[in-house]
Parts: sequence; structure tokens; C-alpha cells
Amino acid sequence: MSPSFGRGAMTNSWSDMQNSKCFLIAGSNCAENHPIAMRWINRARKKWGAKIIVVDPRFTRTAAQADIFAQIRPGTDIAYLGAIINYIIEQKLYDEYFVLNFTNALYKINKDYKFEDGLFSGFDAEKKSYVTDSWAYQLDENYKPIKADSLDDPDTVFSKLKEHFSRYDFETAAKISGIPAEKIKEIADTFINNRPGNILYALGMTQHTTGVQGIRCYAIIQLLLGNVGKAGAGIQALRGEPNVQGSTDMANLITNLPGYIPYPTNAEVTLQDFAVKHGTAQLRPMVALLKAWFGDNATEDNDYCYEYLPKLNPANKPTQTEFFNWMDKGQFKILLNFGSNSTVSIPDRKMVARGLSKLDMLVVADVFEIETAQFWREPGLDPKEIQTEVFFLPAVFVYEKAGSMTNSSRLIQWKEAALKPPNDALPDLDIIDHIFKKLRELYAGSTDPKDAPILKARWNYDNEHGEPDPLKVLMELGGYDETTGEPLPTLGAYLNAPIGTVSTGCWIYAGVTGKGNLAARRDGIDKTGLGITENFAFAWPGNIRVLYNRASCDANGQPLDKDRVLIWWDAEKGEWTGNDNPDVVDKTKGPDTPEGKIAFKQNPEGVARLFAAKYVSRNPGEPIPIRSAGMCVDGPLPEFYEPVESPTENILHPNVQNNPLANVVSTEIGDVEEYPYVLTTYAVCEHFCAGGITRNIPWLNELMPEPFVEISKNVAKKHGIKDGELVELYSARGSIKVRALVTDRLQTYKINGKDQETVGMPWSWGFASLSPGPSANTVTMAALDPGAGTPEYKCCLVNIRRA
Amino acid sequence: MGMDVSRRGFLKLSGLSIAALATGLGFDLSVAEARGYALKLEGCKKIPSICHFCSGGCGLLLHIKDGKLIHLEGDPDNPTNEGTLCPKAASLQHVAESKDRPMKPMRRAPGSDHWEEISWEEAFDRIAKKIKEVRDASWVREDEIVTQEGEKRKVPANRAEGIAVIGSAEVDNEECYLLTKFSRLIGTPYHEHQARI
Amino acid sequence: MAKKMLFIDTSLCTGCRACSVACKAWNELPAEKTRRLTSYQSQDRTTPTTWTYVSFHEIYEDGKMKWLMYKHQCYHCGEPACMKACSSDAIYKEEEGYVLIDHDKCIGCGYCVANCPWNVPKVDNTIKKARKCTGCIDRIKNGLLPACVATCQTGALSFGDRDEMMEKAKARLAEVKEKHPKANLYGDQFMGGTTYLYLLLDDPEVYGVPAKPSAPVSLTLWKDIIHPLGGIAAGAAGAVVVLGVLANALRGNYSKRLRDNAGVSSQSDGEGR
Repeated sequence: MSPSFGRGAMTNSWSDMQNSKCFLIAGSNCAENHPIAMRWINRARKKWGAKIIVVDPRFTRTAAQADIFAQIRPGTDIAYLGAIINYIIEQKLYDEYFVLNFTNALYKINKDYKFEDGLFSGFDAEKKSYVTDSWAYQLDENYKPIKADSLDDPDTVFSKLKEHFSRYDFETAAKISGIPAEKIKEIADTFINNRPGNILYALGMTQHTTGVQGIRCYAIIQLLLGNVGKAGAGIQALRGEPNVQGSTDMANLITNLPGYIPYPTNAEVTLQDFAVKHGTAQLRPMVALLKAWFGDNATEDNDYCYEYLPKLNPANKPTQTEFFNWMDKGQFKILLNFGSNSTVSIPDRKMVARGLSKLDMLVVADVFEIETAQFWREPGLDPKEIQTEVFFLPAVFVYEKAGSMTNSSRLIQWKEAALKPPNDALPDLDIIDHIFKKLRELYAGSTDPKDAPILKARWNYDNEHGEPDPLKVLMELGGYDETTGEPLPTLGAYLNAPIGTVSTGCWIYAGVTGKGNLAARRDGIDKTGLGITENFAFAWPGNIRVLYNRASCDANGQPLDKDRVLIWWDAEKGEWTGNDNPDVVDKTKGPDTPEGKIAFKQNPEGVARLFAAKYVSRNPGEPIPIRSAGMCVDGPLPEFYEPVESPTENILHPNVQNNPLANVVSTEIGDVEEYPYVLTTYAVCEHFCAGGITRNIPWLNELMPEPFVEISKNVAKKHGIKDGELVELYSARGSIKVRALVTDRLQTYKINGKDQETVGMPWSWGFASLSPGPSANTVTMAALDPGAGTPEYKCCLVNIRRA
Repeated sequence: MGMDVSRRGFLKLSGLSIAALATGLGFDLSVAEARGYALKLEGCKKIPSICHFCSGGCGLLLHIKDGKLIHLEGDPDNPTNEGTLCPKAASLQHVAESKDRPMKPMRRAPGSDHWEEISWEEAFDRIAKKIKEVRDASWVREDEIVTQEGEKRKVPANRAEGIAVIGSAEVDNEECYLLTKFSRLIGTPYHEHQARI
Repeated sequence: MAKKMLFIDTSLCTGCRACSVACKAWNELPAEKTRRLTSYQSQDRTTPTTWTYVSFHEIYEDGKMKWLMYKHQCYHCGEPACMKACSSDAIYKEEEGYVLIDHDKCIGCGYCVANCPWNVPKVDNTIKKARKCTGCIDRIKNGLLPACVATCQTGALSFGDRDEMMEKAKARLAEVKEKHPKANLYGDQFMGGTTYLYLLLDDPEVYGVPAKPSAPVSLTLWKDIIHPLGGIAAGAAGAVVVLGVLANALRGNYSKRLRDNAGVSSQSDGEGR
């Protein structure tokens, strides 16, 4: 979403779903994995007669609630979404006001841009990457994109979009996806005719080698239909874990620093280099972060201690799945693992065991003794041969510690510790604090420059008992005026302060502790009837509940939808105001000013991006650019590619079968002759992720006691398998024994005229816990999306036989 | 030291406000008079929290008497879930009383087939020493890069090549942040977590 | 307190089973060792420690898939057969409509088990008492929602005054009928009107429950005809003979149904792990 809208976050909130007239739930099984969504979806059905469309490889508990259900072949979403985009454009069903005012539709694209036979211009076959210069806009002398007068101009983004998706008709999409053409049209018509329409997705959309581009299709559809920045509209990325929004905001990622600051590489030697590469817009958050990390030691004279940051070598940039390969190859000697169960959750999990076995030391902090902590005693491995020293550190559970978590709709919610743990457990916060303090002791007195970051960091969160106080950490995130020591009152105070005078640990959280702990606010009253509770907790940025809400207003700044009023321009007071906090550049700049027209201020163009062009904004004559646009490494427009393991050939371009940039980590790849079925993996309502908590809760094990492989009646008949019988499920990478669940909820479908079968298996089991069971990730494949690094869990080839 | 004074002042203030708010939570027990059916919640302190599972951020309400969890259900004042909970969240009472949570830190020696309990102090000591050892041994001061002009150039790397850190989307913001800060301070950019998967 | 009703709108139920967990959490009932039985279902009967469960029904017709859910528990009948059958007067009704078992009086004879049209109450052999859903009477008497209703996220479960719930159910039925012509309300037309009322999308048999549940004929004969008759005309030899025959038939019926449930009590012996 970030390359489209400027921010990667879910656009609206859970309670905002009550405002929708239509839901496209595709890549999400929310009734099972985000059950709270159904509460608000059902309210929309009651209030607005909202329609539910579910597209899924299986008939799920969400599908059971749908008005329209379509069974799709895993990994082919871009085919049917592309057909919907084509239909909207061809039939001129788009929202012209929105498209002209809030997107880059009119912008002219570089004449060298091309898409031919499955490849975009600039492909470097040797490096398996694109040189992206031809994906740029045509610029004027002030570095501003040139706009055409009409959408029909052949150079416009709109024309490129139209041409690109003209290959996607309903029939072609049907041949690829297995969804009948008339059903795709029915989905399109239903979604187009019931606005505001809302798209819900989760890991079903991201866990592909084309994951990012699938989401781009959603963005394009919603921008064409004017379904962004409005109550009941938008794209809801239903995130997988309780604090995955927060953990991503805090950059537990190799590519970022907190607040989505790009991670500096070794080529960016100085802060100046960093600014030249990423724009001056990144300078403010970077300096504020360095002030938070190094306090008074960070000064303008010493580049705010920028040199202390470890610099990334772009040639050695493993993402989580690759970590285990790097261990296997011997780079990593110690792994500190806080709250994550890779032995169950990483695809092609034999690779994980190989990697962990090569470590000198593994440290696992968790609530229960998860599989990763005891990988050395997995049945089939010999502990004597595994020389890794392993520590298990008992961690406290969520309600046994104070702190905040950020939910999917960016809502930062604070909680106090309610209970003491039943064991000698510590919060992760204390564990990290203890280890850091120990290291500081070990390095005390060192004059080696490499040890300076440890010795000179600002690190004092102690309460009167010498334990770290999480509120002090949250206050570091919320930021300080470093000249007075006062907490930053608002995001605005951070944005307006001279660089170097303020600190924030995570700039998008600025102001969260400005006027008391706003994340702890408990007034849940909704005065708007739209599900906006502005005095309950605090949503980043600036307590905005519906992102890009400027787009809900007309050219005069007045609400387009009188039933769903978010914000408006108050001409008398001379400011933007409303039921929600206005997401505008400047609250005092009216709709007749250039700033007052901007709905997507995080994009350097100020508009949303149908075409993810290469673009860097800059002031004429200044060497350092301001802001660079987010890009997709595998193309400025989405294109359908077959999954890495696919049962059929790519009928759009047989010469380019898969995403040419897909990062295939697994070494064993199977073919359709030997492995005829497509496997898709998922979770069930009763268990969570790798099961580390839920498989240790008897009440949940009682409801969902064991995993299963779901197969159609045709597959069952072919192999003589009865419901409940043990079968062997195997791929090129591994084999497991699991009970079969024979069901009508999976049907045989046609791909390019041929019968095809999908089988499914939940992945939340492992060899330990109160309820051990076979791990689906023994058979899945590590093939990663080139942009996000997300593995293709949702499709690989398998076969089945009676065990 | 204006900053310290003001931080302390703030903490005190917010502590007070949370305590004050906590009395106004949830349903009103004053109507819950014993009518032949005693309510086990009577006399409980009610403390709100957040669910550990999906990203809904549903509010929990813990009913606690004498430091013991008597009951857990949805927080009726939380506008996202309005007092309701899914099966996973509704089961969370169990974790507080689970006998399956390891009592103490444990160490498994190289080649061993079992755990041994150790003290926190010893665990921290061994882990920190190992981090130092790996950090010092795998430290990369400089990388050689090729500039856009095609020249080879030595640039600072400041990296501990041998340390990997995997964080979590299931812990608090403060913990995520401190882990990010910790990792980068000790010199590792190799820090990931399950948001990626 | 006025008569209450719990409305189960199965059209909104997603089978998440939070109700099952919330019931166990509130009533402090341990988990049982289970296995998957069919579809996503791992429980198919109430037990002394499972007072509510959800059954899953997969129906594929004319190229359309339906996945129907049914939450089972005590219906809290207006005219409860269990109460009538109870040999020790342990079963009584609360003014809200709830049917409860007084464990001070219950002797675990199992007559309630055998006479319930849905086979709901179960005798816990370790304490020799019958157990079943209490409707969370402790919560209701204290102004709280039943645990299952309080937790339900989809809105499938609602609780309130009987009249109000009946209205709601009828209005919802009218809405649902458009898409599901076979939709019907289940609960108000039998057993004196149940406290738990269902909106079903298909015939009751599809969900595995009887379309017209009633107290066993033997029980009606025994309690309403023979027992009073026997009291009046104790000396009449003919009556004694008839009574004896029927009583034997009744016992036979009990023991058969108790045998059917034998597997259940063993199911609850260990905590599910």
C-alpha cells in the first residue's frame, strides 16, 4: 500500500467497517482469524444491507457468511483483479473526480517505459532486477511531473494502466484463476455498484511471490472507484499479530529504523549522504531518532552520532526466512529470539533446524517452552550431535506487564500490569535491559571506537527499584523537546521544531505522551455514529482514524457523503475540522490553496499512485532532494505471474512463467507430474499462528484437537481416502502424516480447460506443547516476494497417498 | 535537570489518572446484589488489558481478587470489541494459571539431551559474555564498496556480522523498540521478525 | 424478574465457538480429550463438563455450499420433561424461565437425562449428580449477560426480555426468508416454549435436532395419567398391573438411553491435553 498511498497501514478502523455497503474479502478469512471484523461487518449488513463477497481457495467460515463466494486457485488473484480493473476502465465506471484530483492518472510517463512479454523495461537478467529509470515521470524544469490535459493522452498513467490491463478480460482471468467469467463479472458489478466499498485482506494476499503486486491491484481498484479516504471505504490490511503494526513501526526489520526511516547502507557514510539518497524529509526523523538514542552526545558537530549506526551491506541483506540459511552457511553465531517460533512458522523447516544447529548459542525468551527453544529434541534429530548452547528465558504474558500495543488500525492502547506471573518470569523489556546493562559493564572503560555506541547511548528507563519502566520508554517514543526536557505535546510540535532540538524514538508516535499518556485514555464514546472514538487511546499519526480523509471532500472542502461526514473546511474559522482529525498538509490551508487539495501528503507528488513511478521531489537548484516515492521492485504496475511451484503454464507470457525477481531460497522444487495438487496453508479460529500459546490451552485443544489436510471428494475417491484416515502429504521438500478431512468445501475446478485440485492444511502445529501435531511447513516452500520478503506459504505443489 | 523533574511529574500524574479511571470500568456491580446466587466477581478489582492474538486489539477485563485471576472476559468499555471476545481471547484466563510455563530460566548445554535450571543472573552473565565474544570476533570495521564513478572505496561498516536478532509482533511497543535500539547499539542490522512472514 | 429469552440467530453464527470457551471459563469446567469427529466439529453431545457445543453441517446442493452451525445446550423449556421426570424434586424453575438442578436434592438417577428430548443433562458419575447449562443464572440474577452471549462477537447470540426477543426473532426471520425460504424459528412451538429460541436456515433435522420435540409418551402417561390415577385408585388391581407394565417399559427406556450416554462420562475423565 505504501507505494500507492504513501503509508503502508490499514486505512480505516475496525469499527469503521460498519459504514460500508460492500466488502470484498479476499486473502482474509476474517471470521476465523480476525473474528472481531465480523461484528462490524454484520453491523454494516444491518445498517446498509451491505453485501459480502468472499474469494478464497476454500469455502471457509467467512465464506459461509458471503452473498457471493468464488473459489480461486491459490496465487492467481492478480488475474481476476486485473480483469476487474480492465472492466472499470473500459466501461468508464471509475470515479472521475477522484481519479483526476487525488491520483497521478494525468501524469505523463517516460517515453522509454515499456511492458513486453512479461517484462517491464529495464530488466537486468543477470542481476534478476530492474533498472527503474524508465518507470519515471516526464518532468518539467522544476522537477515537477508534467500533467496531460486529458486522460486520453497516450503518455498518461491512465493510458498506461488501460493498455497494461487490456490483456485481462474475464475469460482469460477465468482460465487462470478457475473462477467462472460470469462470476468475476458479478463480483465486479457488485463491488462497483455498492460504494463505499471496503477491501479486507490478510496473509492470504501477502504470502505469495506476487504479494505486493496483489495489494497494488487493490489500491488501483479502490483509487479508480474513489474508495479511499472515506468512511466505510479503503483497504484494510488485517494484520496477523497483536502488535505487528507496532513491531513494524518500531522496525524490528532489516530495512528500516523506527518510523519507517530507510536503513542506511554503507554507501551513506555521512548524514549528508543519507539525505542525498533518501531526501531531506528523512533527515528530521533520523536526527530525532539519533537524539533519542544518544542524547546530549548527539550534536550537529558530530553528525548526531550517525556514524555509530551499523551500516548495512546491500549485498548481505537477509530477511527472516533467509536468516536460517545464513546460519547454515556460518555467518551467524548467536541468535537472540524474543517471542517467535520459527521451528514451526518458517517454510521448508528442515532448513531452520540446520541453521539453528550451526549456532554457538540460541537464546529464546517466550511464555511457553516453544518448539524453537527445544529444536534439538525434535523427533528424528540427535541432541548429542547438536552443539548449540540453548537458553530458555521465561517471559511474562501480555496482562502481566505494563506497556502498549498498536492494533491493526494504528490504535496505540496502553495497559497496566494486572497480575504477577505464576513463575519466575520477566518482561522482555527487563530481559533486554539486563543484557544491555551487563554488556555496558563488560565494555566499561573501553576506548575502542567500536564500543562507543554501547557506552554513549542514552539508556535509562529505571524506576525506583532499578527496573525499566515501560512508560519511560513510551515517552521516548512520544518524544521530548531536548532544550527544555518537556514531552512533545503533539506531532505538530515535532514537525515544526528546528532539527536537532527534539528527540523521538519513533516520530509517527510523536505526541502520544504529550498531554498525559494518551494511549491510556478510556473514553470510548462514539459521538459520530461512525465508529470514531477520538478520546479512546491514540491512533498514529495525530489521532487520525481514517487516513487520507481529505479525499472525502469535494473541491470546496465539503463532505461528498452526507451520511458519512468525516471532515470539512470551515471557511469562517479558516481551518479544516470535523468528526475525525483532518489528514491534511496544514489545517489552515483551505481547498483553494495547493496544499489544501492534497489528500496523500506522504507521497512526494501529493496524490495517490495508480502507477508506482520512480519520483523524487526536489526544490529547483538544491542538490539534496526532498522526498522519494515508495516503489515496487518488480514493476510499476501489477502483473500476473504463476507461483514458483505451479500446476500450469503462464498463458499471458509463457516465456516468463514466474515473477522474474522472486527470491527462491528452497533448493528442492517439484513439478506437476509428481506433485499434481496445489497446497494452501492457513490458520483456524481456535489456534493462533505457530500455536506456542494456544496449543497450551486445553479449552482450545478440545475444540481443535489436531491438524488435518482438507481434500475434495474427488481427491478422496481417487486415492481411496475416507474422512479421518491418516494420509501422507508430501512435496519435493518433505513429507508428513496427517488425518484427512474430506469435504465439499473444496471443489475440483478448471484451469485452462483442465481439472485441478487444491488441498489445504492449517499450519499451527509442531512437535511439542500439550497438543503436538505435524507441521505443514515441512512441505511448504521458501520462495519470497522480492519486495516484502514474504514466503509463498499459500501455494506449493504436493501429492497425497494413504499412509 | 529540568527534564527529570518533568518526567517524574508526568509519571505521577498519569499513575493517578489510571487509578481513577479504573474504578469506572465495565458493568456496575452495585446492582449485583446477592439474590440467592452469589457472584464470584464480587470484591474483585477490574483491570483492563489487551488481547494477545490477532491485530484487533480487543480489550480484556481481568477480575482479580487477592492477586489471583478470578475471571477474564471482554472489556465492555473498549470500543473495538464492546465486551465480546473470540474463542482464543476467551481462553486467556488459562495462561495465568498454567502449570506448563517453565518456572525458571533454563540452559541446555551443547550436546545435552535435557534442560538445567539456572538463575537469571547466570543466564544474563553467560549471554552477555557470549554476545561480547561474538561481537568482538565478527566485528567489521570497514566495507569496500564501488562508487557510482566505478572507484573502490573503504567505508565504515560498524557491524557485528555474527549476531542475529529475531523480535516479535506479540510483545509490547516498548519491548519492540528497546530491542531495535539494543540491536543497533550493539552493531547488528540483522534484526527481523514475523511481520515479514 | 420478567421471563427472559436467549435468541440464537444461526444465520450470523460463524462457528467460532467462543461461546463454548466462555461457558467453560465462567463455569470452571475442564477441557475434555477430544478428536475431530466431522467437519470442524470435535464434540457431539453435552457432558457433565461440556454444557454447550456447536455442531457443523456441510451441505452441498446445486453447486452451492452451505455450512450451517448449531449451538447446542439446555433449552430451558417452558414445560420441562426433565423436571417432570425428576425422581427427587431436584429440578426447579426460576421466574426468568431457567430450569435448574438443585444438587442438594439430586441423587443422580438419570431420569432427567432419559426424558430430555435433546438428551441434554448428564450425570457426573464421580459426584452422582446431573449437570447441565444453568443459563448462567448467577450472572443473570446479578444483571450480567450469560457468558456465551457476553462473548459473542458476531451478534448471533442475544439476550433480553422474552417478548422483545420474540419480536426480534420474527423480524429477523422475515429478513432471512428472502434468501433462505426454509428458514424457521425453533423453540417457541413446543415443550411449553423454550427459553432458548433459534432462527434456523433449514429444517431442524438438517441440524440433527428433532422437528417436534416432546416429552416421551411414557413420561406423560406415568406422570399425568397413571401416577395421579394410581394415587386415587391405589387398591384397584387392574391399575396396578398397568402401572407395573408401564413402569418397566419406562425403566427399559431409561437404561437404554443411559447406555447410549455411557461413552460420554468416560470422555470427561481426563482433562484434555
